[in-house]
Parts: sequence; structure tokens; C-alpha cells
Amino acid sequence: MILDLHTHSIRSDDGRAKVANYCQWIRKKELPLDGVVLTEHRQFDDESDYRELEDQYGLLILKASEVETDYGHVLVFGVNEDMVHAFDFARIDNPLPMVLAAAKRCGGFAVPCHPGRRNVGLFSHYEERGPVDDVEVVEIYNGGSIPGEDERSRQEAQKYGYRGIGGSDSHIVSRIGLCATEFVDDIATMDDLVAAISAGRCEARTWRT
Amino acid sequence: MANVDIAAIRADWVGRVFQEFDIVVDRERMLEFAISGGETDPRFIDPDDPEFQASTGFPTHVNVARMLPDDFPQIGTGGIDGGKSIEWYKPMRAGDHLHAEVQIADLYEKTGRSGTMVFIVNRMTFTDADGEPVAMVDWRMIRQD
Repeated sequence: MILDLHTHSIRSDDGRAKVANYCQWIRKKELPLDGVVLTEHRQFDDESDYRELEDQYGLLILKASEVETDYGHVLVFGVNEDMVHAFDFARIDNPLPMVLAAAKRCGGFAVPCHPGRRNVGLFSHYEERGPVDDVEVVEIYNGGSIPGEDERSRQEAQKYGYRGIGGSDSHIVSRIGLCATEFVDDIATMDDLVAAISAGRCEARTWRT
Repeated sequence: MANVDIAAIRADWVGRVFQEFDIVVDRERMLEFAISGGETDPRFIDPDDPEFQASTGFPTHVNVARMLPDDFPQIGTGGIDGGKSIEWYKPMRAGDHLHAEVQIADLYEKTGRSGTMVFIVNRMTFTDADGEPVAMVDWRMIRQD
């Protein structure tokens, strides 16, 4: 089962894609995706209901978040009421160790994304401040990376023994599915997803050429 | 961003209307804007079309005298256009008398490859003579250290 774990819709301030259009594009282009995870910037969208689209297009649509920390941007899966009260999703300087711990404590999982990117990537902060305990998984394939960034992400992930996931980081429809994550087991819920990432039962994939 | 308390500025300014004005939608301006933008839909370029109306981007051409309130705090330096988004509620027709209000709709920080940026969202809302909303334009201005 293949899911794009990093996408943005018009709910994000810089997103230009409606979720329905992502679904149309996936089917029209016959992309090998079974679903997407919406990771809106600095917020958790607890309002939108995509169940009709799931049924219409036969896709799994889950919701997570991309938050900002003092070590760069981080995908947070398994967001629930406890987690949204554990730290301020809107802040740009949440301490990474706190986000990692809060996510786990609340039953979720946090994954630094595009870690090879300047300023907003985990490894650019490692240069100055050293590694952070408790990082287990990073996004090693990101559809928005410029040349060299994903290479650095993979090299450093290997150096630190981190597992990897992939996501397109799409903000417009045509970028969906450029990178994704393949799961060993079927994923039906966010709990399934968190369990699979936590257990390492998935692998990052890329279709970027 | 150094030395700027975004939360305090948000609390002070977001939602405050700082400018109001009235306009009459001008047929020639509508046509000029649509044609220069490459529109081909008769609704936008043919005044004889029964559905003749302002083209999608038309509200962005309305220039306000002040982009920010006169006493708005200095945030960073310079500025980059972060793009505009338009929400339509009903067609804008030639001769319509509209009232416009301008406010700071949002203010937030984010980080990107080039560092920390502050986004100031300037919102212009147009209502018709009955007070019904016609269109809303959000313009994001980006400031950096």
C-alpha cells in the first residue's frame, strides 16, 4: 500500500490544490497511490471531512500536520486533542525534543521532513548544534527538494541510523505522488499509520527523475 | 524574527479596519483588465453578453491609498509580494456601486529555505449597495530580517 505522507491543500496558506483535485489527478494519471496524508502548515485541520471523496475515488485521505521547530520542519502524525494542547502548532520555534516527546506521549509520531534542506531541515541544524536524541525517522524523499537535498537527507539518515519515509510536499495538484511511502501492511486509519511508521514497516519511494 | 513580538502585533492589529472607500465599477476598466489578461470568455470581454461581468482577477486592480495602517509597526525590511487570492460571492457588474473595507486579516511567521519570514495579510472586502458581500481579496506581503 502506497501513501503520499506529505501534502498541502488550500487549507495551508501556500497551498493551491483542493483535495478533490488531488483525487482527480491521482485517478486521471493512474498514479500508484492508495491515499494521501494532508499535512497543513502550522495547524491541524479538525474540520474538513473527506469521507465522500474517499468513497468516490477509492482513496484513503488522512490528516496530520507540518509544524515548525528550532530544528526545522516536522511532520506530526496521529494528531489528537491531547496533542494540539501539548504545544502550539502555530509557533515557528517549538523545541524539537518537546515535539518528538509530545507526539509520542499523545499516541502519535513526529518525523522531521526535508532534513537536508537549508534552514528548515534537521541536518542543517545538526551542523551547529549536534544531533537530537529520540529522532527515529526522517523524510528522505521530498518532492520539493532541489538537487542535493535528498541526497544529503539519505546520507545523514544512514549516518545516524534513522529510518526513512517519503512524501511529495505537494502544494499544487501536479506534484502529488512524486515521492511517497510504501507500507507492508494495509493502512486504514491514522492509528495504523502511526503503528507502521513506529515499527519501521514501510519504505520511502520516489518517482522523481 | 528578531525584536518583533508577532503575537502582540497580531493582538493589536488583526481584524482592525483601517481604510474604507467607495467605487463604481467601470465598464472600460473591466474590459481593459480582461483583455490585457488574455481572457477569451465572452462573459468577461463582450459587454453585450447577458452575463457580462468583471473577470476573475479584476478586484486586484483596485489600489488602496495605504497598504498598511499609518502607525503599523516596522517589521523587517523590504518586502516581497506573497501573492493574492480572491474569493467571489457574486458577480461584479459594470456600474455597480461598491463599498470596500481594508483590514489586516492575519499576521504570521513561517520559516523557509531563506530563513524566517513574516506574512502580513491585507484583506480588501467589497460589498454592494445592499451590504451583500461581492468579493474578497487577500494579499500576502512578506517581510524578512
